[in-house]
Amino acid sequence: MKRRLTAGLFTYLALIVVAWCALTPILWSVSASLKSDGELLDTAPLPAHPQWSNYRAAFDAIPLARMLLNTVLYAACVTAGQVLFCSLAGYAFARLRFPGREVLFVGYLATLMVPLTVTVIPQFLLMRAFGWMDTPWSMIVPGLFGSAFGTYLMRQFFRTLPMELEEAAILDGCTPWQIFWRILLPHTRPAVMVLAILTWITVWNDFLWPLIMIQRNEYATATLGLVRLQGQYTTNWPLLMAAATILLLPLLLLYALAQRAFVRGIALSGLGGR
Amino acid sequence: MRGSALGRRQARAGRLFVAPNLAAVLVFLLFPLGFSLYLSFHSWDLFSPPRFVGVANYRRLFADDPLFYIALRNTAVFTVFTLVPTVAVSLGVAGLLNRKMRGVGVFRTLAFLPLVASTVAMAVVFRFILASDDGPANILLGRLGLGPVPWLTDPGWAMVSLSLVTVWKSVPFATVILLAAMQGVPENLHEAARIDGAGGVRRFLSITVPLIRGALSFVFVITVINSVQAFDQAFALTGSNGGPETGTYVLGIMLFQNAFRFYEVGYASALAWVIFAILLGFTLIQQWLARRAESEL
Repeated sequence: MKRRLTAGLFTYLALIVVAWCALTPILWSVSASLKSDGELLDTAPLPAHPQWSNYRAAFDAIPLARMLLNTVLYAACVTAGQVLFCSLAGYAFARLRFPGREVLFVGYLATLMVPLTVTVIPQFLLMRAFGWMDTPWSMIVPGLFGSAFGTYLMRQFFRTLPMELEEAAILDGCTPWQIFWRILLPHTRPAVMVLAILTWITVWNDFLWPLIMIQRNEYATATLGLVRLQGQYTTNWPLLMAAATILLLPLLLLYALAQRAFVRGIALSGLGGR
Repeated sequence: MRGSALGRRQARAGRLFVAPNLAAVLVFLLFPLGFSLYLSFHSWDLFSPPRFVGVANYRRLFADDPLFYIALRNTAVFTVFTLVPTVAVSLGVAGLLNRKMRGVGVFRTLAFLPLVASTVAMAVVFRFILASDDGPANILLGRLGLGPVPWLTDPGWAMVSLSLVTVWKSVPFATVILLAAMQGVPENLHEAARIDGAGGVRRFLSITVPLIRGALSFVFVITVINSVQAFDQAFALTGSNGGPETGTYVLGIMLFQNAFRFYEVGYASALAWVIFAILLGFTLIQQWLARRAESEL
C-alpha cells in the first residue's frame, strides 16, 4: 500500500516536470513581454508593473495589425478551399465509381511522401512565371484547390459512413452533388473540423513560403513580421516577446477550445505527415 | 438499364469532383517534382536561359563543395541530437500520460500545448531564454553555481541549442502518436503480467513497447524526415547563414541560400534531390528492418 502511494506520488511529480517543460518557455515569453528593460534580468515570474506599452511598441515598429489581418485572410481562404475541395474529392474516391479511380488514388498516396524540400524551388519559379510573387495570390492559390493529404484524410472518413445513409436518396434519384451536400457532408463534421484546424495552424505558422514569396510589408504574414522585427531589434527583448506572444496566443486559445479535435487530428494525420 | 445510367452519372460526377483537387496536385506537386529533377541537370541563374550541364551539379556537390560536407555532417549530428531525445522522452511521457489517474487529462492538455506553437515564434523565444551571459537560462544556471554556457555564440553549443528547440517542439507530436497506440494495447495483457508479478516498468518495457512498435517506427521516420529538412528554427534561432561560423549550417539552410540568395537554381535542385534520396534511402532501410523484425517474431 505504501509502495503504491509513493509510486503515485512519483508519477505526479514526473507529470508536473513534463507540464513545466512544455509551459515554461511560453509563459516566459508572456512574462518578458510585460517587463521593462530594467526588470528583464529579474527572474521573478511576474513583472511588478506590467508594461502593456510593449505591445503598443510592437504594433508601432512594424505594421503588425496588417500582418495579422493578412495571416487571418490567407488562413481563412486556404482552409475554406481545403475543406470544400478535399471533401469533394474524398467523397468521390470513397463513394463514386469512375474509371481510373484506384490508380489515381495510389498516385495520391505516393505524393504524400514527396518532401517540401524538393518542390519548393519549382513552386517558387511557378509563382514567378505567373507574376504572383509579392502578391496575396501566391499565399492563397497553391492551397486553395485542396491537397493530396486532405483528400486522403477525408476519403478515410467518408469510407466509415454506412451505405444505408444514401441508399434511399439514390433510389429517389438524387444527384451525387445532392447526396454529398445534403446527406453525407453534415455527417463529416468531425473530420472537417480536424482538416480545418490542421490547415489553419499550418498556414498560420508557415514561414519558408512567405519568406521566399513576400517582400512588401503590406502582404506579409505575422511570422514574417516577427523575424523582420527580430532583425531590427535584437536587443529590445520585451518588444520581441510581445510580438512572439501575439503570434502564439491565438492558436493557444484555439487549442484550448478545440483540444479534442486537435489531438485526434494529429493522431490521424500521423498517417500521412505533411 | 437504369443501373448503367446511374453508373455513367456517378462516373461523370466522380471525375468532376476530383478535378479541381487533381489539378492542384498536378500543378503544385507533381509538375514541381519533375521540374526540379530537370533543373538539377541544368545551370540556371533565373535570367539567362537554363543550360544543360549533365551531372555537373551533382559532381560539384560531392567533389568541389566543402560546405556540402559540413552541412551533411551538421545535419547528421542534428538528427541524432533530436531523434534520440525525442523518442526517449516521448516514450516516457506517453507512458506517464497513459496511466489512469485523477487529473491526467489536465496534464495531457498541458503537455500537448507546444503542438500549436509556431516554430519561428518559439525559436525567437528560445533566443531570448538562451541569450548571451545574462539570459534567463544562464541566470538560473548561475544560481546553481554553473555556467554561463555560450548557448548561441559557440558553434558546438549553438547546435545543442538548435536541437533543444527542435526537441521541445517535436516531443508532443511524437507523444500523441505513441499515446494513441498505447491506448490500443489490451488491458488484460497487463493484468496477466501483474499476476505474474511484473512491476510497472517491466510491464511497460516488455508489453507496451513491443506492441506499439508500428507507431514507434513511424515516430522514428517522421522525426528523421523533419530533422533532415529543418529550416524555420535554424533561420530564426541562429540566422540565415547557419552561424556561428558553420555551427548550425544544415542542409535546409544550404538549400535556402543557394536557391533564394545566390539564385543557383539548378545547383540547389541537385541538393534537393540528394536530400530526397537520403530520406528515401532511410525510409526503405527502416521498412526493410521493420519487415525483418516482423518475420522474426
